[in-house]
Amino acid sequence: MAINPNHGSDPETNSGDEQSGADPETANGADADGGTESGVGTEADGGAEADPPAGRQAEPESGLESETAPTAETGTRSVEESGTLAWPARYARDHLVHIAVLAVLLLYPGVYALLIDSPLRSELVALLPEVETMIAVFYFGLFAMSFDFISGYTGYLDFGHAVFYGTGAYVVLLAGSGKVPLLPAETPFVLLLVLAGLLAATLASLIGALSFRLSGVYFAMITLGFGQVVYVFVRGWEFIGSNPRDGLAVSERSGFEIGVPFVDSLSLAIGQLTGDEFSVLATTLSTSEVSYYLVGLVVLVCYLAMQRIIHSPFGRVMVAIRENEDRAAAIGYNTFRYKLGAFAISGFFAAIAGGLFAGFQRAATPDSSFFFLVTGDALLAAIIGGFGTLAGPLYGRLFDEGVREFLSKAGEGGGLLPYLREHLSEATLGTDLVGGITVQGAIETFLNGHASLYIGALFVLFVLFVPDGLLGAIRARLGGPIAKRLPDRIGERLPERFERYWKALER
Amino acid sequence: MTALLAAAIASEAASLPLVPPLLLAPGIDVVGSSAFGFLPGVTLVALGSALVEFLQPVNLLDVFLNGLAKSALYIMIAVGLTLIFGLMGVLNFAHGSFTMIGAYLGGLILVLTVSGATGGLARIGLFLVGVLVVFGVLAGLGGVLEVGLIRPLYDRSPVYQILLTFGLTLVLDELVRIVVSLYGLQPISDWQNVFGTRPAFIASSLGLGPVDVPGLALFQIAFGVVTVGAVWAFLTRTRYGLIVRAGSEDPEMTEALGIDVRRVFTVVFALGAGIAGVAGVLLMWDPVWGASVPLAAETLLPAFVVVIVGGLGTFRGTVVAGVLVGMVDAAMTWWFQNAISFTGLPQITIFLILVIVLIARPQGLFGVEGVGGH
Repeated sequence: MAINPNHGSDPETNSGDEQSGADPETANGADADGGTESGVGTEADGGAEADPPAGRQAEPESGLESETAPTAETGTRSVEESGTLAWPARYARDHLVHIAVLAVLLLYPGVYALLIDSPLRSELVALLPEVETMIAVFYFGLFAMSFDFISGYTGYLDFGHAVFYGTGAYVVLLAGSGKVPLLPAETPFVLLLVLAGLLAATLASLIGALSFRLSGVYFAMITLGFGQVVYVFVRGWEFIGSNPRDGLAVSERSGFEIGVPFVDSLSLAIGQLTGDEFSVLATTLSTSEVSYYLVGLVVLVCYLAMQRIIHSPFGRVMVAIRENEDRAAAIGYNTFRYKLGAFAISGFFAAIAGGLFAGFQRAATPDSSFFFLVTGDALLAAIIGGFGTLAGPLYGRLFDEGVREFLSKAGEGGGLLPYLREHLSEATLGTDLVGGITVQGAIETFLNGHASLYIGALFVLFVLFVPDGLLGAIRARLGGPIAKRLPDRIGERLPERFERYWKALER
Repeated sequence: MTALLAAAIASEAASLPLVPPLLLAPGIDVVGSSAFGFLPGVTLVALGSALVEFLQPVNLLDVFLNGLAKSALYIMIAVGLTLIFGLMGVLNFAHGSFTMIGAYLGGLILVLTVSGATGGLARIGLFLVGVLVVFGVLAGLGGVLEVGLIRPLYDRSPVYQILLTFGLTLVLDELVRIVVSLYGLQPISDWQNVFGTRPAFIASSLGLGPVDVPGLALFQIAFGVVTVGAVWAFLTRTRYGLIVRAGSEDPEMTEALGIDVRRVFTVVFALGAGIAGVAGVLLMWDPVWGASVPLAAETLLPAFVVVIVGGLGTFRGTVVAGVLVGMVDAAMTWWFQNAISFTGLPQITIFLILVIVLIARPQGLFGVEGVGGH
């Protein structure tokens, strides 16, 4: 069952081009930047090489064209240049995009606080996700990434992934309410997370040992079966409380703190009500902001760990299994063990995500943690963000939550309706549309709280037209991971543009 | 399966006085709990005496008849899915949504046409009209969806068909939720007015020898038998059924013989969607299921279980698996009501059947290896 057969091979071919840089034809051909555009660009540039001043004068507009299309010449040059760069500079260059994304995320709470005081206040409140929403994006994004780790990279669609998410959540909540023997209620949260992760990894090994004998649709179905067995079991498990269907909430324990275990000064609690505030440089971070940074930190560490595994020889074998399992086995890899290992790792991180969810919310129900539609949400995020891209699912979830918040009911983070109420007059909102339905009524009926409809429709469109997802599609267009290709493309164009201006000045 | 559980709990309460005195004897803790609440504090003695009780012919007959009714429902839910999978290899996640839409449409037709004065036979007649209308509407919907959305995906990995139909479920469920709440109904609870359109003999129980059988159960069994017969006749006695079977066996060969397999795909998808809708019409009269938006997920999962247990794409397997699951469900419901206090017992057993069958016989009871990505 090969998902996204393009992904595995694309970066390889392109990085090959990048390094050799010797074959201008290939370099140009591999560029995914539309045919017509680059055709014009190359033509113009060919002229420029032969007789630069004449070429420029004859076609004054062609400068614009060639800027958008990198040429073989400049491509080769930039690669040669980057070869001479010292490695720290090259490293920083390769991670420029990552640093930029991190910086945006790092500054987001502050910027959000500033922006909602600006004149565009109501527009921005309606459009931007709240800091609390971003926390949910983080932990659920981690869950979606762990789903992508197993399903996107080995090609085995795990429809029971919510089991591990739920395991994480329930371990934290059960331990936090002192219901787990030998574990005091005040056990450090970080230890609980690791414990939950290990438990989930064990569970994954057990489920995987039975499930990985199957493949394709059957694998999806047996994991769904296991998932539902656990879900139904938890829903009726009276150990949890008198009404296990209502789930579990932690009431006594103080906030779940992230930091160095047993060192109070080096850890801060998360949660909206039980979290800590933190003062630094004359500003005080609210409980949400503290949670935002701490949850974000854990998610970042987990992401880096998974990213590392994907790019290790182990991860290469996972991709090989996705592309052609028989061949991987024929080469001599024990694919069963690799799949099992990948499944356990994925379960580990899913449980961390669940633990973060439980630690922040301090409550969970079987339907919000173990149900198969929770896996469905992760699937949604993974497909929209990009299947088999690891970071993509986080963006997919951001997209998903963003739309949901935008179309949420009043009082759940602001969105379209509160905004319209503020800005449109009563008369406009009360206008009759068809059959006695007012504008406001129509919005309330068709938009508010019905984000699933629009997300579902978008999802269908994504499956049909953008099967690689947001990140996957951009990567395909750039011809490799964004962080690697984007600086190159900018680097290819800037010197050229500079040179052109210089020549124009000389004349 | 919220409705199922609620009904099970309700019937448990109703049946408590019927628990034989033996079970209530001191020292036998029927609903007590041990350290792990789910492992009920039922002692072996209690289990033993419950087994003796279970094996009484009256109880066995009761469970058997209930099991047949449940089997009929499970088969009805799963037949469409198995037809579609057998021919096209598409695991249709939107199947439950078709059933749910069928339940609402059928309910709408009956609520609009049935008045208090309508007689029993007339109600059955209107029900059959509803079945025809719903079949037509959903077959049309299924055909349109197949041509418009699923057809472009046949040359891609089967995962994309799962993903697409999953997305369809979200859209369809949410649309129905919008429409239903527009008319002031609660999308998550059963549509109560529909239950009022049942003829008197279906709403009551009939004495059949030593046991009381709900008229509804008999009606469901009859309906299930007729549907199974009709589908079987279609597959084995008509020319088009022959083509469908040939297409399931070897699509390329069928195409080589000059048959437009793509069109057969559309027809079978429409047929499957139509049968799913008819199953919904049948479910709307059953208080355990009822017409509600969550019905989509409630029916989708058992349908998967039945189809997978039977072997993806075999009609015979689906019927056998439907009977198996129905019987186990009925038996486990009895045990839950009489001996074991774990609420999820019937459901958990159904999913355990799925897991065990997949481990022991991955291709399902009647499945052929090589179908569905083996």
